Amino acid sequence: MNRAPIALGALLAFACGSASEDTHAPPAAQTLLAPALRRLSVAELELAAGNVLGAPIALRDSLPPDARQADFSRNIAQSVDSLTLRQLYDATRRASESATLPTPSCAALALPNDENCKTELISALATLAFRRAPSREELARLHPLFDEGAENGTFRDGAALVLRALLASPQLLYEASLGEGATQQGAVPLGQNELASALSFLISGAPPDDALLSAAAASQLTNGTERYAQAVRLLSRAETMAQFQRFVEEWLGLVQLPQLAKSNTVAADFGPLSRALQVETRSFVADVMAAQAGSLQALFAGGYSFVPDEVAPLYGIQPVPAGTRVSLREFGRVGILQHGSFLSVFAHEAESAPVLRGKAVLTRVLCRKIPAPQELGIDLMFPAPDPNATTRSRFERHAVDPQCKSCHAQLDPVGFTFENFDAVGRRRSTDAGLPVDTRGSITLNGSSLEFKDSAELSQAIAESEELRNCAARQVVRFASGRVDERAETAFVAEVATLPFTWRASLLGLFLSYVKSDGFAWRVSP
Amino acid sequence: MSFSPRISRRLALTALGAGATYALAVQTPRARAAEGRPKYFIGIYMPHGVARELWVPKPGFEIAYPDSSLAPFADAATYGQSFREQILTVEGLDLTAGMAASTSGHDGSRVLLTGSGGNGRNASLDQFLAVEQGLGQGLPLSSLVLGVGRPDPALGFCISYAQGGSALPKIIDPAQTFQQAFAQWVVGSDPAALAKAATERKQGKSLIDYWRVELAALRARAPASERDKLDQHATALRDLEQRLEGELGACTPPHAPDPATFPLVQAYQGGEPYFDTVTDLQVDLLVQALACGVTRVATLFLNDLSRTHVDPALPDDVHIDVAHRYESAGRDGQGGVPATWQALARQNRYTYSKIARLLQRLAERQLLQDTALVALSDMGDPARHSSRQVPALLAGGWGGRLKGGRHIDLGEHGTPNNRLLVSIQQAFGVESEAFGQAADPAIVTGALDLA
Repeated sequence: MNRAPIALGALLAFACGSASEDTHAPPAAQTLLAPALRRLSVAELELAAGNVLGAPIALRDSLPPDARQADFSRNIAQSVDSLTLRQLYDATRRASESATLPTPSCAALALPNDENCKTELISALATLAFRRAPSREELARLHPLFDEGAENGTFRDGAALVLRALLASPQLLYEASLGEGATQQGAVPLGQNELASALSFLISGAPPDDALLSAAAASQLTNGTERYAQAVRLLSRAETMAQFQRFVEEWLGLVQLPQLAKSNTVAADFGPLSRALQVETRSFVADVMAAQAGSLQALFAGGYSFVPDEVAPLYGIQPVPAGTRVSLREFGRVGILQHGSFLSVFAHEAESAPVLRGKAVLTRVLCRKIPAPQELGIDLMFPAPDPNATTRSRFERHAVDPQCKSCHAQLDPVGFTFENFDAVGRRRSTDAGLPVDTRGSITLNGSSLEFKDSAELSQAIAESEELRNCAARQVVRFASGRVDERAETAFVAEVATLPFTWRASLLGLFLSYVKSDGFAWRVSP
Repeated sequence: MSFSPRISRRLALTALGAGATYALAVQTPRARAAEGRPKYFIGIYMPHGVARELWVPKPGFEIAYPDSSLAPFADAATYGQSFREQILTVEGLDLTAGMAASTSGHDGSRVLLTGSGGNGRNASLDQFLAVEQGLGQGLPLSSLVLGVGRPDPALGFCISYAQGGSALPKIIDPAQTFQQAFAQWVVGSDPAALAKAATERKQGKSLIDYWRVELAALRARAPASERDKLDQHATALRDLEQRLEGELGACTPPHAPDPATFPLVQAYQGGEPYFDTVTDLQVDLLVQALACGVTRVATLFLNDLSRTHVDPALPDDVHIDVAHRYESAGRDGQGGVPATWQALARQNRYTYSKIARLLQRLAERQLLQDTALVALSDMGDPARHSSRQVPALLAGGWGGRLKGGRHIDLGEHGTPNNRLLVSIQQAFGVESEAFGQAADPAIVTGALDLA
């Protein structure tokens, strides 16, 4: 896997003029997000709690999985339910018993009545937990807990109870984007500490570090250029690459990979294969981020990948040393849509799924709205198996059924282009003993285009404005934790003014969003 | 090992105070039970709809005919007694509120106990009874939300929803079920352990008090749109407090399940061979939790037989090769493919065998008469992914209010499942004629005539 950090690369030349100018005038309120509290995802909670403990803490095996919205684990629908709180209570109790107190140095030898050390310790821990300097009142509420813990015990026992209080504190569990200060023309700016947390969790999936908190303390984060500089600085953090990999996997639905089952007829043991497919996609995304600043062209039509040994037979290539960049264009795999991960997720257990694949491309990659059959009052019927017919011919009845036709006239010609890949993404030339037909079509930017297969389709999508606009929307969804049409539309309009290399790269889109007014302001409630 | 045979009086009073912000339509749960109302609620999700041809009882409520999916309820040899007189089948329910909000097909489980679609903000019936109506007050757990196979609260994999509309995660690991429901109270009689438990209870209470103040501070700054989220957090704190302060009732506590018998529990990650064991353990622990006074409300999200190899007569992929292949004869009884009925009925019969086991355990603990159980599927005809004509099985004595041994056919035109939910809440003493959310008030209003 590529372990290089994310670099600005081609974006660097345009950095100075890359986003909206910093102004002190409030943005138009009607394009802004509503204030919200976002409960941290489990992955974020691990990093936030670990930051307080000064040591890693594994919560993903203890806490219930994230409730996803549009597959994004970062979302404002997540809540603190009874089971989550009980599990968190138990997990943090165990952690506080075993934690080495991170700060301050006096704690190691202090007696329970060492007031100075107690005060210093509580303040240090609360700052880490709240991701900001705690108020005097907040600190005062923690002191009795220390005293209770230390009663008939040690200094460390007092600190342990404070740790438990902080690790499940609402101030730690939620990222608040409520706005602070005076409302201006219906808009309210986020506070400095709110900006620091929002920026850090978005870019690196982790709580803000000292440098970011210092910038907040100096009120520097009102300035979009400073936010941009801080975000660029965070690109070198180890967690940041995982965050971009998470974004791509959630955007394209690849997070469903571990929850797939496949028939023995297509994969003798899908478990190891699915893990290898995940490794391939993460390696590829890491390379696209590190070497090409998250170029959308490279992501969807780069023509190469990093193929683990377990995947090589699936792709019809010889195994190569780990980390070797392999050209796959000649094998009909030009980008992430021809990865076994994508092709497996959008397939059934034993056969390909042209409707699922077509829908994934249109709704996830291009952000088009396709109603579900249920929304139209249509019963969802699975075509009957027919050992003598190709999948394509079984599904082509959609094109003649008047109920189905309007949507499937869009879906199926896209999905059929992947018919040379089976339920796990293995390349095939026949289906049910008959030659596969991968011809298809799509309307892009007002033009009807025809393709011989999904490789050509991917090439056209990779170069399309529709993909770039959809990626911009997905960045807003990921960042804001919700689907908000007005905020998305505003950002799409904003990035349209950026240099091409910026709006055609994930890194450019993320950095532009961090710098934008939409990131830093909320509509007044 | 010792257990207190009583519920803490102090806790009961605390809980009543904590619930004062809700309009309590009923008296305390204990009082309701004394009035001949059900004391326990169990909601169950079953997958894949039913093969109607082999589900509808024959005249005289004959359910033991060949290939009948309901046969386990008449199988006294296996389940200790026949439960034929303790079940009532209802056909003709539609998930109307869900269909009106485009929440149907595989998403239909969202509607089963909420009576609302994906945009609904009301709690599901179990949480409504447990939290808003106080059935879970004064107990270690206000409710138990269990499942088999998938823990995530994704649409289509949950039936329990909190006030505000967020799905509740499920416990799918029996070891976790035991941990949550019993382990805290298995302290033993060692003085040091008892002292440690007492300290933990005291410190836990202080932590909860602290979190309440912090949550209130956050709430003071939050807009109204975030209140539901914070209310749910407050409910979670109240539940945690109950868990810390509550005490088990007089009961024979279960042994901790042996994880070696279910080394994996997740669907598609190797858990399938153990789902049968896991289901039995979840059923047993659920009933023991009721018997020990841990909770009065539980839901159970059952899994299917795909790749479990429990029934060699079924294909490996039950979802595609059984549910999708079902060809019904419909209500007019014409056409259809009998072999597909039999295959789906085998899946249904397996599910009902687990519910029969649950009834057996309830009967063994003398809880059956006081329990209101409802088992629902999200589909009628699974091959069509239809949210119409979904099957309902009602069981238990409902505190003397349910007359079993009967089949009720509501007709083919579709009765909103909200009516069933209204009937259940009324059985628990909630004097309301509506349950759920829908643009058309007629969908959510009215009760079923179960007499």
